[in-house]
Amino acid sequence: MNTGFEELVRDSMERFTEDLRVPADLAGKAHGAHQRRRRFAGTAVVALGTAAVTTAAVIAAAVPRTGGVTNAQTTAYVIKRVQNALAAENFVIQGQATSTITVSIHGRRVTSDNGPTMSWSYGDRSRFVEFTGNDCRHALSDGSCTHRGGSQLYLANGTALIGGTLTGAYVTYFDHKYSLYPVGQTGVKACSRTAQLGLGAPSVTMPNWPAFIKAMLGCGEATVTGHARIGGVEATVISGSIDVPLPKGYARTVRETRDRVRYTLYVDSTTYLPVRAYGSDETYGGAGGPTTSVSVTNVQWLPPTTANIAKALVTIPAGYTQVSSPAQQ
Amino acid sequence: MQDAQSPGELERLLTEHGRDLMRTAALLAGSRQDGEDLLQAALERLLRRGRRLDNPEGYLRRTLYNLAADGWRRQGAWRRKLVVIGASEPAREADVTAAVDLRDALIQILRMLPPQQRTVIVLRYWEQLSEAETATALGCSQGTVKSAASRGLRRMRELASPWLNATIER
Repeated sequence: MNTGFEELVRDSMERFTEDLRVPADLAGKAHGAHQRRRRFAGTAVVALGTAAVTTAAVIAAAVPRTGGVTNAQTTAYVIKRVQNALAAENFVIQGQATSTITVSIHGRRVTSDNGPTMSWSYGDRSRFVEFTGNDCRHALSDGSCTHRGGSQLYLANGTALIGGTLTGAYVTYFDHKYSLYPVGQTGVKACSRTAQLGLGAPSVTMPNWPAFIKAMLGCGEATVTGHARIGGVEATVISGSIDVPLPKGYARTVRETRDRVRYTLYVDSTTYLPVRAYGSDETYGGAGGPTTSVSVTNVQWLPPTTANIAKALVTIPAGYTQVSSPAQQ
Repeated sequence: MQDAQSPGELERLLTEHGRDLMRTAALLAGSRQDGEDLLQAALERLLRRGRRLDNPEGYLRRTLYNLAADGWRRQGAWRRKLVVIGASEPAREADVTAAVDLRDALIQILRMLPPQQRTVIVLRYWEQLSEAETATALGCSQGTVKSAASRGLRRMRELASPWLNATIER
């Protein structure tokens, strides 16, 4: 506060609010509204836009609990609520994911589990950490593995504060190396092929979860399909499926022609914040045999405490060697 | 850790911090009634959390800030804006009430600002948060805070110029 005008503004605020008191029944009103909302969420669940949508009137309507496609207005309403919830909340987003990949080798389908991952994102900050799974995590040139067994840190990718500047950082723990790169645009261009292909594996493409989910829902491919209970929370289920041709180079490599992505987002029916994401991605249409990856990400919304915000930053361990790019790791 | 979800704890929270929260909510929302509604909305969010919090008061404040910055009740804000735009200008002749009018006008003008600018002004000049603290509270960059504060104050000055001139003339 260093100018007369700013002091005047502050003085006006003081005067405007000096005799304000909390209404005696405010806590009771909040509790009542909360209880009504809970009862509503447990029974009716999804509001459905009516023909009188121009008046912004919405009428509660039951949605089948198992499957069943509701109409486009319901979907638009739910998706808007999710987008608003993502825009309004100020939380550190924590995702915990497991995933598997199944490949075709000489006609046989072989499945291996990727290591479990954790990710955090807060504004422009993000950290993705992969732990070792049960299989060989990183094959060296002599055929040996860097890791076997689970729960060891394998890699971290995300943003780090280097000299006070937010910088992209990629750390590999097995060889004690790291590389830095400029932070690019964190937003996902909605409905681009990159975004569409990313839908099937959210556990590895979540530098910025709100933007990612927003893009995912904004493609117009998602539909409200029902309800489920996730960890005791009543959740609205939003599902989508996208089928796109593979990029030519990749198609030649895997000898397949198309990629089919399916995703399901479970959002808390009360807060509309995502609580679980499921994604699958399968190549098909050629002679190579399908490659299928499946991931499940459980999402938590952490209060933005200093400790939680710190989780969304990669730290470079002391003694690690810097290399010029992730390709050297 | 406090269980702010219990009725007793909520009452205690409001007894200790309610007046401060109410004042902030009224400034963010632009009126007493809307401030009550905004604070109630934030309390409902606290109840919906369904788990213990280290700092429920801090959570309530952040929720107030973010609901306000997100243009809580956008349509209502627009209606209020029309009312303010249509409000009469100050009397050409300065009188003893000019200074009081100016303070009232500033609050009316504060309501006219876009939600983000209004929220930043309230956080910077009422809550006395630094630019960095404001940026953290709103989940945006310090540059955004600086720019929103600067544009908001400039706009307030412009809109308040008839009242400012009247006060100076007096």
